Amino acid sequence: MELDEFRESLDAWLASQADALRPNPSGADTLDEQMDQLARVKRATFDAGWMRWGWPERVGGLGGSTLLRAYLGQALTARDLVEPGIYSMIEVLAPTIIDHAPPGLAATMVPRLLRGDETWCQGFSEPGTGSNLASLSCRARRTADGWRVTGQKIWTSLAQYAQRCVLLTRTGPSDSGQAGITALFVDMASPGIVVRPIETMHGQPEFSEVFFDDVPVPLERTLGQIDQGWSVAMDLLPFERSTALWHRGAFLRRRLEGLLDTAPSGSLNAREAGEVYLQLFAFEARSRATQHRLASGEHLGAETSIDKIMVATTEQALFDLVADGLGPDLLTGDDAAGARWRSEYLYSRAATIYGGSIEIQRNIIARRLLGLGDDR
Amino acid sequence: MMNELERDLFARSIRAALESGHRLALEDALDDTGWYEALTAEPRTAISILFELQGESNAGPSLDAVMAWALDPDDPAPAVVLPPLGRWDAPAERHGDQLVVAGMATERLGRAEIAQVGTWSGGRTEIHTIRTAQLEVRAITGMDPVLGLLAVRGTVEVAPAPGREAGDAWNRSIAFGRLGLSHALVGAARRMLELARAHAIERVQFGRSISSFQAVRHRLSDSLVAIEAAEASLAAAWDLGSGLSASVAKAVAGRSGRLVSRHAQQVLAGMGFTAEHPLHRFVRRTLTLDQLLGAATSLTESVGEQLLRSRTLPAGQPL
Repeated sequence: MELDEFRESLDAWLASQADALRPNPSGADTLDEQMDQLARVKRATFDAGWMRWGWPERVGGLGGSTLLRAYLGQALTARDLVEPGIYSMIEVLAPTIIDHAPPGLAATMVPRLLRGDETWCQGFSEPGTGSNLASLSCRARRTADGWRVTGQKIWTSLAQYAQRCVLLTRTGPSDSGQAGITALFVDMASPGIVVRPIETMHGQPEFSEVFFDDVPVPLERTLGQIDQGWSVAMDLLPFERSTALWHRGAFLRRRLEGLLDTAPSGSLNAREAGEVYLQLFAFEARSRATQHRLASGEHLGAETSIDKIMVATTEQALFDLVADGLGPDLLTGDDAAGARWRSEYLYSRAATIYGGSIEIQRNIIARRLLGLGDDR
Repeated sequence: MMNELERDLFARSIRAALESGHRLALEDALDDTGWYEALTAEPRTAISILFELQGESNAGPSLDAVMAWALDPDDPAPAVVLPPLGRWDAPAERHGDQLVVAGMATERLGRAEIAQVGTWSGGRTEIHTIRTAQLEVRAITGMDPVLGLLAVRGTVEVAPAPGREAGDAWNRSIAFGRLGLSHALVGAARRMLELARAHAIERVQFGRSISSFQAVRHRLSDSLVAIEAAEASLAAAWDLGSGLSASVAKAVAGRSGRLVSRHAQQVLAGMGFTAEHPLHRFVRRTLTLDQLLGAATSLTESVGEQLLRSRTLPAGQPL
């Protein structure tokens, strides 16, 4: 299917399903509710076929350009049907499984993620391993029939909901760095896993600590080659910085529209509002080009760090404008809209931290795009 | 449409023309390379290649050629009267059969016999073709003396019949002019980043190349991000083809150029402060290009005012 046809027919379908897909307006907007809504929308869009476009047929997809996926997420976000952060995890995790899992496993698992039957999480960061990912120490020990995993992860999004986890483990000597990491696809129901959600500043327990105590993982759940997990992680990061960011841009556009629509007259400064729009315009233009490069089969790499910096700084500029324009509502508004602005404002403070901090993105640009050599 | 190879050849011949360094030679060379035909057939290719190269090489942008073509594609004048720095309204006002002109021009107007001037006349915009001999023309040295800008003023007699309403042509001319200037800003910014990058790698302090210090690396990274933001905005503005998108692209390019200029100056430090190093030419040029046809700050404010009035966003570019 071509993008134009997809866009037209999806828009018509979404209009016809507006009542069925609308979130349950309890007003609380809890993470539980967001997860329920996400599963509902994923199931409906999968069963109607939309969610299957842009994914390979060997994992239950219908083929076609990745632009179809980019548009689906944009359309759902623009209509406020899904929260983009939790929706876009499919864009990060499904490609990893498609590219690195044994074909049979990918064929079984990917449709469950796309249909919303399952939630997956990504076990990368550790208490001692933030920006320096290659220093991770969660250990996987070889046994006769597979692995035993012992260690701890942190900042693991949606771990308390997840059935599976893409987990980076140390399989080489403790000082083996990038060379001794293996990626595993772990069942979260395995014995020995304890998940402790982390209370966050913005009120949604989106991240967890995950503890692994001698957790058995079958050998066929190894992703990619043993000790080559670093390249699995590196393949995943450009996905985290491409289509998922296009979806985030649709969210920022919707919220800027919401701000313009509801801000009391005279509360917004024209220059500052124009500045946020400029940033959004530039980001949309950049990200659109990235979607087209991905769709044409180009390998995405370090240049997606530019997209990431642009979207993160746009998000913070937007919510700074919200703070200036909606001050009283943001601080004391006790209705659902006030609570939502508050939560989103606080979450935006993390935009330059999660998914690789802005400092790490700048380091990547310096080394890989500007050729400035090593930083020591 | 030119294919990639043709575009490459076209760019190379334009680069050669620019390197010849003489303004008259450039006009002949543009003629020889078929640039004027390309401007009509493929304005995006013609304008983006020429202006970006002019920005990179510190050559004056061919603003007259683009604005005159946009005003009157069938019979473009050799020069146009530009609005004063920072502005984009028509630089002349009509009172009966007299035009009062108060604007600026590039060095081309000094060599041309006639020029086109956008004119505000009783609530509408007209375009008039006037004889430059009737104008008082003064060279502006100022911040960017090699650019050769001229201050232009005078009172010119015109036929008493009302001129053709040409608000659309004027707006189109401003929009194309802004796209060209934005490409020049991007070219200048790329060159400044390259100068700073080369220096950072070469310069050793504390026994290390200063490019290994994170404070330096991050300035250069942010510069590249700013340049890519401007480049992407320009591509979107060409695709969208609206006056608003051209002003957004100019605002992003102006802001990016100013940021890169600041970072490059700091990284080049004492070297970049000397008149012997080329950086100062690009610093001066960037400041001037930013002001021509509306500075980033005022364009941003004007876009913002439009958003606050309409309480909505212009439609985004479809995926």
